[in-house]
Amino acid sequence: MNYAIETSNLSKQYGKVHAVDNVHLRVKTGEIYGFLGLNGAGKTTTIRALLGMIRPSGGNVKVLGQALGPGGRGPWAQVGHLVESPAAYSELSVRENLDVARRLHGIQNPKVVDEVIEQLTLGSYADRKAGTLSSGNFQRLGLARALLHKPELLLLDEPANGLDPAGVIEIRELLKSLVQQKGVTVFMSSHILTEVDRLATRIGIIHKGQLIEELDTDRLEKMRSKYLEIQARDLESAFASLQNAGYKAVMKDGALLIEDARAIEHPDEIARILVQVGTPPTRLAVEQQNLEEHFMQLTGGAK
Amino acid sequence: MTSFRAAVWAEALKMRRSMVPFFTAVGFSMAPLAGGLFMVILKDPEAARAMGLISAKAQVLVGVADWPAYFSFLTQAVAAGGGILFSIITIWVFGREFSDRTIKELLALPTTRETIVTAKFFVIMVWALVLTLFIFGIGLGVASLVSIPGWSAGLVQAAFTKIMGAALLTLPLMPFVALLSSAGRGYLPPFGWTIFTLVLANIAAILGWGDWFPWAIPGLFSGAAGPGTDVLGLHSYVILFLTGLTGLAATYWWWLNADQAK
Repeated sequence: MNYAIETSNLSKQYGKVHAVDNVHLRVKTGEIYGFLGLNGAGKTTTIRALLGMIRPSGGNVKVLGQALGPGGRGPWAQVGHLVESPAAYSELSVRENLDVARRLHGIQNPKVVDEVIEQLTLGSYADRKAGTLSSGNFQRLGLARALLHKPELLLLDEPANGLDPAGVIEIRELLKSLVQQKGVTVFMSSHILTEVDRLATRIGIIHKGQLIEELDTDRLEKMRSKYLEIQARDLESAFASLQNAGYKAVMKDGALLIEDARAIEHPDEIARILVQVGTPPTRLAVEQQNLEEHFMQLTGGAK
Repeated sequence: MTSFRAAVWAEALKMRRSMVPFFTAVGFSMAPLAGGLFMVILKDPEAARAMGLISAKAQVLVGVADWPAYFSFLTQAVAAGGGILFSIITIWVFGREFSDRTIKELLALPTTRETIVTAKFFVIMVWALVLTLFIFGIGLGVASLVSIPGWSAGLVQAAFTKIMGAALLTLPLMPFVALLSSAGRGYLPPFGWTIFTLVLANIAAILGWGDWFPWAIPGLFSGAAGPGTDVLGLHSYVILFLTGLTGLAATYWWWLNADQAK
């Protein structure tokens, strides 16, 4: 199996604080790995360790099959990154900032700058000083720098930060197309759960420095599945009549839940059955399990 | 294009686009202009007094109105002012990466961190020497304009060597400023360090230990202790060299090994 990212027992300790604690990550080539966690959970510390910006207190890091060496050595010509909020030289224009990055990446062809400007729709701001950009365009500049050298692996910390809703969709589509068409691997951290849910093929949840759960594609699909939630005054009777009608229902938290596609597509049919047996529904709603609920349960974030 | 050339290009672009070259050039050009003013005062004390200028102070600072005195003043100004202005350049080149948080864009690149640090030191050195050449040129112009006696081609050559020497001896003090700009993650710690070492250099020179104290050596080389007082020995230059080397090693080590968690 080819892994774009491999960590074994990755740990980082600051004094008595375990910022990252024995994190074991395996990110496959070509997948979009969503890295979720509350503020201070260890997301950025992990990303910095993956980029050789901090030295782990313990464990190993391999990026694109290469162990990170001393002095921050790594396969950086194939890795694009955006760590926390983007930064740029405010006195340089967008184009100049990208030209600096191009040269430091050792890319001879100056056209890559124009290409990435177009890709990130920064054309009208190309000659504007970075210091005068809006936060959304500043974020685009950061993403442009991450994509400039056509990397195999993208490490993105909160990539949707500062973008307007149209920008969020645009970047989502861009990342999807990079993965689908170019086989790029994306490792993105976020606390915008809906965004991660829409994009990621696998999700890792980090809490208090520990990777507490990984959700694979099947689990995510299941989590994204819809169900019909029914409430009635006589729940037992409603349950029995639905069973008799051939619907598999489960009772949970004072409601009946049905995952059957027929019920989800035709809730009116369920209502008709219940009315016929004299237990009309008091509530009938198509619901979807979501990552947010799951995340909150795991991390206690709602408390 | 080698990665070093790329890194130098990037540093030079950042320098060109900033206001710092302009301000350091303006700041440093005060030295030859002030020297010229002192020459005017000393040449005609009566006229200067009539204009409200005090000639006694100028006499203490410069001595007499001639080319040797003018160059002596300029050399001392380069040694004293250079310590501060070169520090400002160094603080800006290194400290701005931390202050603007652009450091994280320099750490995971095919261009290695040591190449970037070397390019930064190279740009600082070129910038400082160009600035010194610039004020030497202005100095020649100003002194010619105020038409003072004592010019000779030999004197100009000797003054050029002395002024450039004072600037070159100031450069080994910069790596520690770079280290503090990096480890201190911004402008204030290295600026505090510059002031601190300036004060210590004066104290060391007054106590007569200046030849052993690296931060006092450029000033003593420039003749700040008075005419004919050459107190520097080989040990002074060795200490200065070792100070520069230690600062360089510490700066490289820090860039290569310190956690960049901010």
